[in-house]
Amino acid sequence: MAEVQAGLRQPLILGNKKPVDVSNDICEIIERKPTGLWWAAFLASLTMLIVGTVAVIYQMRVGIGTWGLNRTVGWAFDITNFVFWIGIGHAGTLISAILFLFRQKWRTSVNRAAEAMTLFAVMCAGIFPLIHMGRPWLFYWILPYPNFRGPLWVNFRSPLAWDFFAISTYFTISFLFWYLGLMPDLATIRDRATGLRKKIMGFFSFGWDGSSRTWSRFEVVYLLLAGLATPLVLSVHTIVSMDFATAIIPGWHTTIFPPYFVAGAIFSGFAMVLTLMLIARKVMHLEDYFTVRHVDAMCKIIIVTGSIVGLAYLTEFFTAAYSGNGYEQFVFFNRAAGPFAWAYWTMVTCNVISPQLLWFKKIRTNLVLVFLLSIVVNIGMWFERFVIIVTSLHRDFLPSSWADYTPSIIEILTLIGSFGLFLTLFLLFCRFLPVIAVSEVKGILSTGKPRAERPAFAEHPEADEEEVEPELAGV
Amino acid sequence: MPDSKTKQYWRSPGEEVDSADGVSGNDLDAWREPTPAYVRRRSFLKAVGFGVAGLTVSGCQQTPEIKAIPLPIQPAGVTAGRPMHYATVCGACTAGCGMLATCRDGRPTKLEGLPEHPTSAGGLCAMGQASLLGLYDQLRFDAPQQDGNATTWDEADQAIVARLKNIDESGKAICLLTGSVASPTLNQVIDGFLGSYQDGRRVNFDSLSSSTIADAHQATHGVRAVPQFYFDKAEVIVSFGADFLGTWISPVQFTTQRTAGRQLDRDEPFMSFHAQFESCTSLTGANADLRMALAPGEFGLELTRLAVKVAELTNQSVDVETLAESSIPQQTIEELADRLVHAKGHSLVISGENDLKVQKLCNFINHSLGNYGSTLNISQPSGIRQGNDGELAALVADMKSGAVGALLVHATNPLFELPASLGFVEALDNVDVVVQFSTRPDETTEYADFVCPIPHFLEGWNDYEIRPGLYSLGQPVIQTLFDTRPLMESLGQWTGETAGSRDLIQRFWESTVYPQAESRESFPKFFHTALHDGFVDVGTDSGEGADSFALEAVEPVTVVTGGNEFSLVAYAKVGLQNGTHACNPWLQEMPDPVSKVTWDNYACLSVATAKLLGVEEGDVVRLSLDDSSPSLELPVYVLPGVHDQVVAVAFGYGGVATERFAGIGPSWIESRPTVNAEGRVGQNIAPLMNLENNVLRNWRPGLSVQPTGEKHELASTQTWHRITVPKNLAPPGAERRPIVQETSFAAFQKDPHSGHIEHHEFGPDKLYPPDHPTDGRQWAMAIDLTKCTGCSACVVACQAENNISVVGKDEVRRRRDMHWMRIDRYFSGEGDDVEVVHQPMMCQHCDNASCENVCPVLATIQTSEGLNAQVYNRCVGTRYCANNCAYKVRRFNWFYYDRPDGLENMALNPEVTVRSRGIMEKCSFCVQRIQNAKIEARVQGIPVAADAVQTACQQSCPADAIVFGDINHPESPVSRLMRDNPRAFRVLEELDVEPSVHYLTKVRNSVDVAASEGDEHHG
Repeated sequence: MAEVQAGLRQPLILGNKKPVDVSNDICEIIERKPTGLWWAAFLASLTMLIVGTVAVIYQMRVGIGTWGLNRTVGWAFDITNFVFWIGIGHAGTLISAILFLFRQKWRTSVNRAAEAMTLFAVMCAGIFPLIHMGRPWLFYWILPYPNFRGPLWVNFRSPLAWDFFAISTYFTISFLFWYLGLMPDLATIRDRATGLRKKIMGFFSFGWDGSSRTWSRFEVVYLLLAGLATPLVLSVHTIVSMDFATAIIPGWHTTIFPPYFVAGAIFSGFAMVLTLMLIARKVMHLEDYFTVRHVDAMCKIIIVTGSIVGLAYLTEFFTAAYSGNGYEQFVFFNRAAGPFAWAYWTMVTCNVISPQLLWFKKIRTNLVLVFLLSIVVNIGMWFERFVIIVTSLHRDFLPSSWADYTPSIIEILTLIGSFGLFLTLFLLFCRFLPVIAVSEVKGILSTGKPRAERPAFAEHPEADEEEVEPELAGV
Repeated sequence: MPDSKTKQYWRSPGEEVDSADGVSGNDLDAWREPTPAYVRRRSFLKAVGFGVAGLTVSGCQQTPEIKAIPLPIQPAGVTAGRPMHYATVCGACTAGCGMLATCRDGRPTKLEGLPEHPTSAGGLCAMGQASLLGLYDQLRFDAPQQDGNATTWDEADQAIVARLKNIDESGKAICLLTGSVASPTLNQVIDGFLGSYQDGRRVNFDSLSSSTIADAHQATHGVRAVPQFYFDKAEVIVSFGADFLGTWISPVQFTTQRTAGRQLDRDEPFMSFHAQFESCTSLTGANADLRMALAPGEFGLELTRLAVKVAELTNQSVDVETLAESSIPQQTIEELADRLVHAKGHSLVISGENDLKVQKLCNFINHSLGNYGSTLNISQPSGIRQGNDGELAALVADMKSGAVGALLVHATNPLFELPASLGFVEALDNVDVVVQFSTRPDETTEYADFVCPIPHFLEGWNDYEIRPGLYSLGQPVIQTLFDTRPLMESLGQWTGETAGSRDLIQRFWESTVYPQAESRESFPKFFHTALHDGFVDVGTDSGEGADSFALEAVEPVTVVTGGNEFSLVAYAKVGLQNGTHACNPWLQEMPDPVSKVTWDNYACLSVATAKLLGVEEGDVVRLSLDDSSPSLELPVYVLPGVHDQVVAVAFGYGGVATERFAGIGPSWIESRPTVNAEGRVGQNIAPLMNLENNVLRNWRPGLSVQPTGEKHELASTQTWHRITVPKNLAPPGAERRPIVQETSFAAFQKDPHSGHIEHHEFGPDKLYPPDHPTDGRQWAMAIDLTKCTGCSACVVACQAENNISVVGKDEVRRRRDMHWMRIDRYFSGEGDDVEVVHQPMMCQHCDNASCENVCPVLATIQTSEGLNAQVYNRCVGTRYCANNCAYKVRRFNWFYYDRPDGLENMALNPEVTVRSRGIMEKCSFCVQRIQNAKIEARVQGIPVAADAVQTACQQSCPADAIVFGDINHPESPVSRLMRDNPRAFRVLEELDVEPSVHYLTKVRNSVDVAASEGDEHHG
């Protein structure tokens, strides 16, 4: 079979796998003892996490003053990190939900890890709005709940209140979606395991029995959740962008932010998925599952979103010039040539110029280069948020209040700590849960069996008829 | 738990009680047994029994007895919690401004200007307001000291009297070295005390000396005195280095007078013309209509040129040799002379230069113009400056020769304030006894054999005669906090007079003031009225005093001293002056009105000089003079408008008093101390000066400036100083930020709207209806930029009223100053040729506030009276409001700003919450005062009066630049001022945030500009 397909297009999963091979390949990773490399990575991440935690505890005890903020620049690393992590958290749901609805079958190799990454990134993101508060112990005041203070409700006009709803909804749906997809795989592990693991996985797989009825319901729920999650991909970053867009500060007060932020989020999310998957692929020997074709497809998305981001940068300049508003114009001059010009040009280089290299197939298929580029994009996207936040604030309307900003060591350690948290969680995930959606991957294997014998959930038979994808239709 | 006999119940239909059969849980019988019995009756009773018993036992403890002291007999007029206001006199400097002290529960918490006072007229400078903290200073002496050890008054008195007696018998002199004393009673007591010795001498000395003004009048008018100045009567003011709005003699009085001479909102607007020639940009220079930088050595020459021109125009013949080349264009001198002569009798030429020739030239010009008796009056000698540098020089000489046996030091700190070259320290070795009268330890204390602590001025009785016939009465507003005794009583004690200072003052008033007043009331009633009013004015404004003028005493100055070398100029800084209050954290943290730097003194260099030397702000330079004077290392501050050959450094820094700031401000891993390597704040410049020809000089030629290569970051509250944005970042056509409206007086007269900045106007039909319709009361403020000088009295007034934390140098460096009221200072123009504008900036209380809708927890909201309220206990500290504030007036509590000094906390205003860590704060329009006025009105059953509320900043403004009130009330000051006022504008109005603070266009009486611009605008 494989030879026949090869003439048309490479199969998505290499190595001529049978379903049982997939189960073995993926489950074995978590069934064997962790490697030294994993331990090293885990300890390094844990150290980062601990350092960050110490920094946060210190900041909580002493005050926000231990950050480099001032009366003019009231947000810097905190909200930069927040938006950065939220952005990272975008790829997961996009891959799981939107690509699922669009029947992009290659997604099955990356969706599990991408969704897990989403959850962890949103967790990292969620920390920052909490710790950036002057009195974080009163964080629950931004939740609307019945209380004895009047009752005093939250300010529904404030984008920060919307943020809470957007992010908590996003986290909830992403979590459910991820967990739902995980259930058949947990059952697979359960069936292979003995002892404690069996018990635990038995509990967490909710008694999955693999019957047709279960599969059928599972598919319906999965589809519904995908439908529900799709608008969230757009809404979360739209609302995050409104933190800025609804403000009156030049550089923030702009209507282009929602699409610009969403594109940027997808851009950074895909870059982060690439970063992580390229490592995982090597370390966990998943070369057959996460192939150059996957990388190629993701690079294409990166080019598109990166170009949208680049266009947004240009549009901002155009809007400022066209507006005739001196304050607005100044902000953009100041970004490009002011004290933070280095940050601005880092951003442009990383986000607009370097992704253009991916137009070349040679570069897209050179995994080392792609890995490096994905890191560059991550750096660029962090700087994008930094530039938006700090350069807009530090020189606004009244020149008397202009101020510079330098991060304190505590802020830097907190950023490192958030990476520590993210990586620690991701490493634990790799260790204890299947990094690749076993059941979904099985669904796209073309093993030449009659259609009826294939696992049914990934594709609806009718859909298959319409959608003539070479790798499947070429039988 | 359940035994088999007990009937078991299930809690919900899904719960299976009996896991064995799994069916009994669904037994329908169970539905019919609704009584839960998890706690059995007996165990319930047990629990109740033990519980009640336990509670009873624990309740048997005796509650600690708290003794409250009731007032069985309520003192008349005192209601607990209600503030009392007492008229008294400010003793922070010698200017003797009227003061109204607000006392709550027996302690003063706020000092304000006394509105009725004839000289200060309700104004009070930053130093006066901040002197409240000096009262609650834990580091003050709490007992008399002998050789550095605490002793009792009895022992100290005995020892001092005995020592003085010995000295007197040995024929040596007993000298009292004092600052100017304006108290007639104290002067009488001093005279009595010194008179009781064979050789009792008194030496007056002001560290900010005006000695030569008096000397010059001695020479020209035969009266050794500093005259009274009346800037309100002057249509043309020419000042050669006199910072009369900031630090010179009586700045509050002069600011009040200057405002009186500049009234634009009248039918016939008028405005005095003010030219300032100075070597360092001062507050006065910043407000001048014409300002030129002048090297200190050029003052005499330029005054001579002016004098010659004035003499020419007033038909006097003067013989002057050829004058050296000078820096002011001849045309300017001629125009000035022309203006002066046109305003003959209504002009004033003054100089702050302590130089006899210069002062005599000023006298000559004023005499030629007939200003004596009008804008200045020598028949009314000022009590504010009585110092005599010549006497000081003689004293030091006598001390060196051993002729002085005892030196009594009062109201001055000679070891800090005097030049090192004078040799005062060495001279002290030859004095047998040094007695110091001081409130707190200072440089001189170390050398004093006895220290007799004197009370803070708010704790003691005092009287002042700052101008003949104007007697002010200073009453104590709190009991003495420490074991202190006024100088008056100490001197009395030593001469056998046991009366207290109140009795002494009352006696003097009965014998001297009462007869002059020709009052029909009895003396006690008269005194009581004086006490209530704070002053008695029995003086008359008449008196020419200019009958004779000794023309021959006037000497022209034909050369420039100093030449082309650098000069070191020491200047007095607003708020700090000679350093008496350097221990006051409010004053240290108050930004300098011109440089905006806090917590430091620095070497001011002009833009050109800094470029020439290749230094920039923060570069440390070594300043050394060619003689043996010590050299100083100071950071550079590039200040436009300093003369190119001048390095200017402020007095008053680097004293032991500033060692207390070692621990001020929050401490965390990146914090840096407020004090420098020597443990102090700044460097003392006074030792580098000298006393030459019986004159204390405040500048020295022959300075060499060497960059050391080190850096010292100054703590400045403003880092971008210009109203234009950086050139390389400026969008075409938007270089200048349209936030201040300026025009010239000429243009204003042609078109009152001149200077108006066009911007987007919002029509009446907005997309959304207004959120907060304000039909009722609507609090608003108007600030006249023409009147505002930038003196920063309001900044400290706000700090005192609203319990604003002091954060220390490092936090200011990190731009985390907490002032709710700040004064933005902008330079416009190029290089050193700049104009200055001061713009007070505080919360604008926008009606469509951008901060309000972004707060997630509704911690900042609009009140029904148009206030933008900050709800501290609701704030969670997201700082979104501060980010979204276009005016950046919100202040965040980055740390818990500790107030460890319990005594200092007595200064806190109990009506204002002390904010804790992590919350946002900002100007509240003194909402506590608004509430008080409303309560008061309700109690009396009357509507709130139009002018019932005065904010703290408004109350203390000597220039009367701030007006506050209900803009919907037709009679309120603010609505009267704003109604159709052509100068009114609001900052950033185009953002549609609807600010409640209105500004009035800054009008300069500039010489040449804008008349034509005005035409264009009109056309």
